[in-house]
Amino acid sequence: MSLSVPDLNFRVIAPALIVALTALIVLLAELVTPAPRKRWLGVLGLIGLLIAAGATVGLWGAPASAFGGMVVADNFGLFLTLVILLGAALSILLALDFVRAHRVDQGEYYVLVLFAVVGMILMATATDLIVIFLALELLSLPLYILAAFKRADARSLEAGLKYFLLGAFSSAFFLYGIAFIFGGTGTTNLMKIADALAKNPRNDLLLVGAGLLLVGFAFKVALVPFHWWTPDVYDGAPTAVTAFMSVGVKAAAFGAFFRAFLVALPAFAFDWRIVLAALAVLTMTLGNVAALLQSNVKRMLAYSSIAHAGYILIALVAMGASGLSSALFYLLAYTLTNLGAFGAVIALSDGERERLEIRDWGGAARQYPFIAAMFAIFMLSLAGFPPLAGFTGKFLIFSAAVETGWAWLAVIGVLNSLVSAYFYLRPIVQMYMSEPVPGWDRIRVAPLVALALVLALIGVIALGLYPTPAIVMATGGFLR
Amino acid sequence: MSTPLVLTYVGFFVMAAITLGGALMAVSARNLIRAALGLIIALIGIAGIYFVLEAEFVAVVQILVYVGAISILILFAVMLTRGLMKRDLPAQNAQWIAAAFISLAMFAALLYVALSTNWRAVETQVAGDLIPKLGTELMTTYLLPFEAVSLLLLAALVGAIVIARE
Amino acid sequence: MPVDYLPILVMIAIVTAFAVIALTLSAMTGPRRPNPTKLSPYESGMPPFGSARRRFSIKYYLTAVLFILFDIEIIFFYPWAVLFRDLGWFGLSAMGTFMLVLLIGYVYVWRKGGFEWD
Repeated sequence: MSLSVPDLNFRVIAPALIVALTALIVLLAELVTPAPRKRWLGVLGLIGLLIAAGATVGLWGAPASAFGGMVVADNFGLFLTLVILLGAALSILLALDFVRAHRVDQGEYYVLVLFAVVGMILMATATDLIVIFLALELLSLPLYILAAFKRADARSLEAGLKYFLLGAFSSAFFLYGIAFIFGGTGTTNLMKIADALAKNPRNDLLLVGAGLLLVGFAFKVALVPFHWWTPDVYDGAPTAVTAFMSVGVKAAAFGAFFRAFLVALPAFAFDWRIVLAALAVLTMTLGNVAALLQSNVKRMLAYSSIAHAGYILIALVAMGASGLSSALFYLLAYTLTNLGAFGAVIALSDGERERLEIRDWGGAARQYPFIAAMFAIFMLSLAGFPPLAGFTGKFLIFSAAVETGWAWLAVIGVLNSLVSAYFYLRPIVQMYMSEPVPGWDRIRVAPLVALALVLALIGVIALGLYPTPAIVMATGGFLR
Repeated sequence: MSTPLVLTYVGFFVMAAITLGGALMAVSARNLIRAALGLIIALIGIAGIYFVLEAEFVAVVQILVYVGAISILILFAVMLTRGLMKRDLPAQNAQWIAAAFISLAMFAALLYVALSTNWRAVETQVAGDLIPKLGTELMTTYLLPFEAVSLLLLAALVGAIVIARE
Repeated sequence: MPVDYLPILVMIAIVTAFAVIALTLSAMTGPRRPNPTKLSPYESGMPPFGSARRRFSIKYYLTAVLFILFDIEIIFFYPWAVLFRDLGWFGLSAMGTFMLVLLIGYVYVWRKGGFEWD
């Protein structure tokens, strides 16, 4: 019997492979590292992420698929891989002192982050629904644990449990959808689904399958009305974990979401764009309106992340090359900005005591002018003020929508941005205008957190002032 | 209808009845242990459906993993939680009407699709034992997902230690 | 073929019928004279102490989770094992990689004391 060995092109999966190996090394190193030196495991993880980023850059510009069409290294996937690696590296920088302050200084923290990164990279580069599902599980499972990582804190445990229950529930929808798509087309490969659809564009089984798949994706990227878990989980999870998952999961899940809908389903007789447009309107509007009502900065950022998922969904509705590149640029800008925002929350905390109520932020600008200024810039970028990354991202998405005849959607997006300016400006006003709240002098800003903030800040300003290189990189598109 | 076909139908309906009965018990029982028992019955019924569909390997895995292990874990979880066993818990909450509505809508949609789809019977009978074929597929076409599973299991292992260590 | 499972179906039917008939008959014909000894869980065994409905130790949970994970691992061995000669060195290295990853997990759990009861 002869085996038909698949094309074992390990180069194509090199970034994920390197991160996986790093995770295994850190896991073994954890066993022999004495307690005071656990932070070196995080440094080890950082080195692995950097090597993986180097490998990703090395793959740039030469799209290839491997393992029988299970994964590809096209510029779309590689761009997201870089975004994920960047987000993970910055969040490890934020975590190195954070885990010590919260007395959860264990090597497993970094191992779980690295496992999640492997899942995220696989999800962004997978072209087969089986791999997408496995990658989704591989990124979700470590995040359930990380959300509950601070076991002494009941709210952290609650966040982990809630995330786990709803995540498992959404995975079931996702898997059920895959089963229907397989039933309708006889394949789980995205390109082959497209071929099957081209022959027979009306396919009820596929319609149900795509609908269930949409529910699964909507849970993961937190689209309204599948967003209920987000505020509680983002609020309850340790802030460094929230920072990581608010950017990594979005990049990975949107990557697979875009790929599944734009590679497999364009020939579909049913126009799914109108459904997505409705979801985008709901998500933006409810996210922003709910964020207006929050007094807790983590919950405010949670609802803000829901609203941003709505903006990114507009890019999917717009389809086409401009929609795709605008989404990639937006995800990069969002990753840097959001990590910066959560990083500032971590920077301005006194050991385990975090200042989560916005009204307690009074006087921060007087004591910590640099951190406060950086936080203000991140807020302005999230709100979409020029000349920052968030503005360029929104501009690209809205113009892609106008270009493809979805001007009304862009108008709703702009109106939403106006509403969002109010709650993004509120903490800034509080920091700069309000009476000082006592206790700021106890806070020592960790140097590594400050470093992460500065790196994010450079990115946010550079992407705003000089976005062209990133936009050019983002226009690579899929390997079909 | 030929005799084997009749038997397939009988087998399917018996197993489907067991599955549905178990599932009903799982969602309606007020005692959690009873609900878990209902779940086990439903899982056995699903294994039976796999047998009827000639997916023996999946059926055995279903019994080994779900009936044998997962259900034990669920029972453990009930026994490990303070005061869960003594109390009778309400089987519904305030949202049951909305849940019932959504479930019915989804059922209607699935029913419509199942009836409207032109189910083509697979003509080619897979020859011989399925398990070697499964092994070959796992090692060739599905090699990447197969190795990814080992990472997933390892992540679960680490997670179990992190969460449950005293 | 499902028809191959006919004997099993027949056996399930007979077993169910036997259990139902035996229980019904004994319930209908047998006399009922309960006393405390008869009603105890083990009539001629140890007298039970404490309630079975108390909270169990979390250790059981860890053991059960570890069991399931290695159980699933074994299931992946099975299709490979029935065919391992045909799959040859390629199959062996594929399975070896799979095992190595889980072996690392095994070492980790072992060193962390996951297999110890106390």
